[in-house]
Amino acid sequence: MEKEKINLFFDAMVIGGGIAGGESALNLANNGYKVIIVEKDLSIGGKMIMLSKVFPTLDCSACITTPKVSEISRHNNITIFTESDVNSVVKMGERHFRAEITRRPRYVVAEDCTGCQKCEEACPVIVKDQYQYNLIGRKAAFIPFSIASPKIAAIDIENCTLCGACEKACPSNCIDFTQKALDYVIDIKSVVVATGFKLFDPLKIERYGFGKFKNVLTSMQMERQLAPTRPFNTILRPSDGKVPDKIAYVLCAGSRDDSEGNPICSQICCMYSIKQAQLLMGALPMADITIYYIDIRAFGKGYDEFYEQAKGMGVSFIKGKIGKITKGERGDLTLRYEDVSTGKIKEARHDMVVLSVGVLANDEAVPMFRSNTLLTDPLNYIRQEDPIISPAKTSIEGVFVSGTASGPMDIPDSILSAGAAASQATAYLKRIN
Amino acid sequence: MAKIDRKFSKELKKYGAFDFTSCYNCGNCTAVCSLATKDEAFPRELVRLSALGVKEEIESSLKPWSCYYCGECSSLCPQSADPGELMMSLRRWLTARYDWTGLSGLLYKSVPVLVGAMLLMVAAVILFANYKQFNVKEIMHFGHLFEMYAIATVFLLILLPNILRMWYLTVIRPGKNPPFTKYFKSAGVLFLHMFTQKRTLGCDDNQRRWFEHFILVIGYLTLLMMTVLLGWMGTENIFVIVAGYLVSAIVFIVTADFVKERIKAKKELNRHSRLKKLSRHSRPSDWLFVIWLFLMGLTAFAVRLFVDLDIINNNLWIYLIHLTVLVQWALIIVPFGKWTHFMYRSFSMYFQSLITENNKGS
Repeated sequence: MEKEKINLFFDAMVIGGGIAGGESALNLANNGYKVIIVEKDLSIGGKMIMLSKVFPTLDCSACITTPKVSEISRHNNITIFTESDVNSVVKMGERHFRAEITRRPRYVVAEDCTGCQKCEEACPVIVKDQYQYNLIGRKAAFIPFSIASPKIAAIDIENCTLCGACEKACPSNCIDFTQKALDYVIDIKSVVVATGFKLFDPLKIERYGFGKFKNVLTSMQMERQLAPTRPFNTILRPSDGKVPDKIAYVLCAGSRDDSEGNPICSQICCMYSIKQAQLLMGALPMADITIYYIDIRAFGKGYDEFYEQAKGMGVSFIKGKIGKITKGERGDLTLRYEDVSTGKIKEARHDMVVLSVGVLANDEAVPMFRSNTLLTDPLNYIRQEDPIISPAKTSIEGVFVSGTASGPMDIPDSILSAGAAASQATAYLKRIN
Repeated sequence: MAKIDRKFSKELKKYGAFDFTSCYNCGNCTAVCSLATKDEAFPRELVRLSALGVKEEIESSLKPWSCYYCGECSSLCPQSADPGELMMSLRRWLTARYDWTGLSGLLYKSVPVLVGAMLLMVAAVILFANYKQFNVKEIMHFGHLFEMYAIATVFLLILLPNILRMWYLTVIRPGKNPPFTKYFKSAGVLFLHMFTQKRTLGCDDNQRRWFEHFILVIGYLTLLMMTVLLGWMGTENIFVIVAGYLVSAIVFIVTADFVKERIKAKKELNRHSRLKKLSRHSRPSDWLFVIWLFLMGLTAFAVRLFVDLDIINNNLWIYLIHLTVLVQWALIIVPFGKWTHFMYRSFSMYFQSLITENNKGS
């Protein structure tokens, strides 16, 4: 027997609740349109909400994102579906799309949960915390992270032992293991694709030893260590908990690298590495920070000054791509590179290495579109039909692209792109003929 | 002051180099190279020099000979600039540069010339056989003499002057005059590398390749000695006959396996990235070397077998094939082809040790 599907109506559907999707939704909602945000994760806010600070202003990322996120959550014209997947989108006609959406069970009654964390305390299961990029653990009954929105508990059913401890501990009786996935059919007039990007998986670069050497981290892990909601309250290297004093950054780890299948520049790694280096200089005043680069691309407003500032603060910049990382004594690491300025091969010892991992396309949105094809560019980013004149236009009329779904970009550019998508969607919705 | 020569990269591409001008100088190739050392960094430096076309510096560099084409630089190159193939092309270009006759360059760059030269040798052998009225004894006698004279002539007229040119370009012209006694002190290096090619061992996981290489060098030299000095083809000495069979068999069996391994390695490399265009870079003249070595071993083996079975008189063709292979080998491949790389590599190590010891002394 087929389950009954719930039918809803909106003016626009935004796929992805990161900063770009949120901004597009907010702009549309402020114009009076009813918007639904479909987010696959447990919280909206995307990757930006996980970051420490933003370049080049060094504003606290969480402090910018959280007010925005709560504005989105409280907006009368915005409906948010978290832990939900878009199964299909079919264009029925001019300004009419029909989407099928599945909302996965959270096993917590959202309306009743107060976010008290009693279930978290009671849960006996500990697994790696994906929201802290595996630096620490979390429970199977958990609140995703302290500034999550909605800030309510969820049960990680794959790791749950169904012991019932959380059910007993919950003061509002909101845990419900009988919840089932709900199917929705949604009629909308336009679609904004804001599916963001994926991070390059450094396990693919074997010679950098990520996953093999504990003190080789990704930049996102370092970002977590520097964030206000950081796990350790200081910077620690994973192998022995030592406070590192010689930290290396390996730029272009998985970007501008044909041999890794990603020949283009990720546009953000130089700048976030410089930002992290400055933050580290603040957090660990005695530490030596070295950034190994191919080229420093500080192209935005105030970026080059930011780079000069890092040099002034004492961050070393060495031109040369790291060839190999090998294990040294006591968890230290040896980096082999050619110092391109002198043409000599050198080996440097560092006690912690940060791989500045690149950006890859997230093409999950492509198979959702059934009646018309959502075209992508050769690197699987959503193709902009007219990138100069109308940057949000895709191959399907009425479907717009917002943020890094169309290519690597930093936060200011993402917000600009989100604004463009919202205004182009508005124009589409308002159009008379 | 060195001058930039934009035409040089075009010239080099005729020798097989492909996309090296796309290099963005990250130094990854040098950093991953298992043969490059703190004192001798390559291949990026050579990529840069080639892109700029600074011929004089390239001519005086011994680094191309230090590269054994492990292939890591190419498979890990972020720009698919194929630095390994560039080094190979530089070796071909240098071979042409050292060669005073200019024939090496011509044979490398032009397939028709190469094929023409090979066919010319075939024609010469047939004409000669015709002139001798297909007399087996006389032809075989001539073949034996030919080997001796050819070796001596090629060595005196081509190889020796070319080595001297290499010496001039890499040691004398750059002004690194090592003291006279060093030439004797370093001689050991020359022979060590000539016979063992032990640098190949530096390439990761390459023991097998090195071992086969070693067997081939020894096998080839022994076969040469057997036929030239001991007259294996015509001897009655049972010991020499058996040893000759053994050596020639080793030569063609090991060569066949060597080629098989190289093709496999190349495939491996191609799978790595979009360097699929790679295999087309192998110059015909490079393949000639191994194929002819294989043919030499095989035909020599067959000829002696025919002699022992006493059917050579009715089957002169087998000896004519052998003679053709031999003539092509001695007059084209040895003086102008890849055979010389083996020689230049050893001399490169020798010159290198002259220069470095000199530097230490001063």
